[in-house]
Amino acid sequence: MTGERPLTLVLLEMTLLVLLGPLVTGTIQKLKALLQCRQGAGLLQPYHDIIKLLRKGTVQADTTSGFFRSIPVLVLAATVAAGALVPVVRSGPPAFPLGDALMLLGLLALARFLTAVGAFDAGGAFGGMGASREMTIAPLVEPVLMMVVFSTAVAAGTTELGALAAHRGASWILAWRAADFLGFAAMLVLLPAETGRIPVDNPDTHLELTMLHEGMLLEHSGPGLGCMMLASHTRQIVAFGLVSALFFPVGLADGAGVTGLLLGAGAFVAKILVLATWLALVESSYAKLRFFRVPQYLGIGFVCALMALALRIL
Amino acid sequence: MNPETVQTIIDDLGALLLFTMILIIAARQISHAIHAVAAQSLLIAIAGAVLATATGNEDLWVIAGVTLAIKAIVLPWVLHWVVRRLNVRREIEPVIAISATLALAVGVVVMSFHLSASLGPVRQAITGNALPVGIALTLLGVLVMATRKTALTQMVGLFASENGIFFTAMAVTQGMPLIIEIGVILDVILAALVMTIMVLRVRSTVDADIADLDRLRG
Repeated sequence: MTGERPLTLVLLEMTLLVLLGPLVTGTIQKLKALLQCRQGAGLLQPYHDIIKLLRKGTVQADTTSGFFRSIPVLVLAATVAAGALVPVVRSGPPAFPLGDALMLLGLLALARFLTAVGAFDAGGAFGGMGASREMTIAPLVEPVLMMVVFSTAVAAGTTELGALAAHRGASWILAWRAADFLGFAAMLVLLPAETGRIPVDNPDTHLELTMLHEGMLLEHSGPGLGCMMLASHTRQIVAFGLVSALFFPVGLADGAGVTGLLLGAGAFVAKILVLATWLALVESSYAKLRFFRVPQYLGIGFVCALMALALRIL
Repeated sequence: MNPETVQTIIDDLGALLLFTMILIIAARQISHAIHAVAAQSLLIAIAGAVLATATGNEDLWVIAGVTLAIKAIVLPWVLHWVVRRLNVRREIEPVIAISATLALAVGVVVMSFHLSASLGPVRQAITGNALPVGIALTLLGVLVMATRKTALTQMVGLFASENGIFFTAMAVTQGMPLIIEIGVILDVILAALVMTIMVLRVRSTVDADIADLDRLRG
């Protein structure tokens, strides 16, 4: 069993996640561009976008209430707090009471809820539409994510992600039980939904009527929009971190040594790269599903997760 | 290989088999379902090879090879050929909604695990989860056959169901006599041939599908 993670390490990991989030989006966009034989924007483009937005002034609709201005900050705060719960470079439970995977999913759900509330608050047609769609998808995604977490948590006897990762240990696919295959399949199906990508949502468009997440951001501007974008980048990397903590915590450092931590960071980057490549491949090879087809697509994830749970318990 | 490794591998293969079965049930296009059933047969062949190395039964090697050649390569190829010949792409046409079928599938899997858990000592003698997975595959194949209107999809269901029986037989008996396995494979080939010809003939002469045939009266 490994040691506990001190406060400084948790804060460090959280900062790392927030700083790396836009880079992951940039990587996915670059990969997609290469797959489409385009040159594409640079890897650092999301950073430039956010910095540009933070410098601009804010314009908002007259109909919005005072709550609207605080929404981007609250969304960003909830997402970043969720980032604190993901073990990045080192496994093991935190040294102080922090929260577990359920807390993480709850915080992500809170961020989603606040985003939807903001979209309704502004009163725009697109915002309301995006929010209603997002709220239709969310109850299909979140319970399934919880079931995937449970299916691994049943074996480890804890829902704390660091402890889960430590329980699974450094041994890789050899230690996978039957349920892990189905759980991982469910996770791969759900990942595009959780990160707002094709075939569930299209992150590249602000114009189509099919959009979910982008529709809710239309009324935000300036620093607020920057915060919302940073939050969605962070949400994506947190989802990746959740997958890698649950299914392949390879290379997570055991002790406190600097080499171990560097190795853990390197392994984390490699895992994120693999998942980013997967998403880029899925985005490039599938079309966006019709909205009423999405529940069926997510149904595959649900069935896989339920079977994983059944395999684990029965 | 020690028995525990074998059991783990068979369990893992069982999970993957269930996953391919979910893909068959959820497939919207017939070609996806055919790919999934081919992958399933490939997994069955791998399971046969694993059991062959574990038990030292050489017949199982033959069976794994035949399964690979016939069920993972030839039969899917024939199905693809029929699909091209009939020029259909979305030939699924479920009787009840696919999501409802998926829900039923979950029920079937849980039930088969529950039932085989109550077998007690019988299950102890069998490698890993092979029995409940095999039962689930067989029943889910029947489910696919029952809930699809078109003949091609029903053929896919039949092959999936047959895969389930095969998997159970291999794991339960540690290799049946070669002659029986070969007979089963021949049955499958013959059934596939007859059904293919039937599908093509029915299509070309009356331009009707299986679901329309209940109205034929003598």
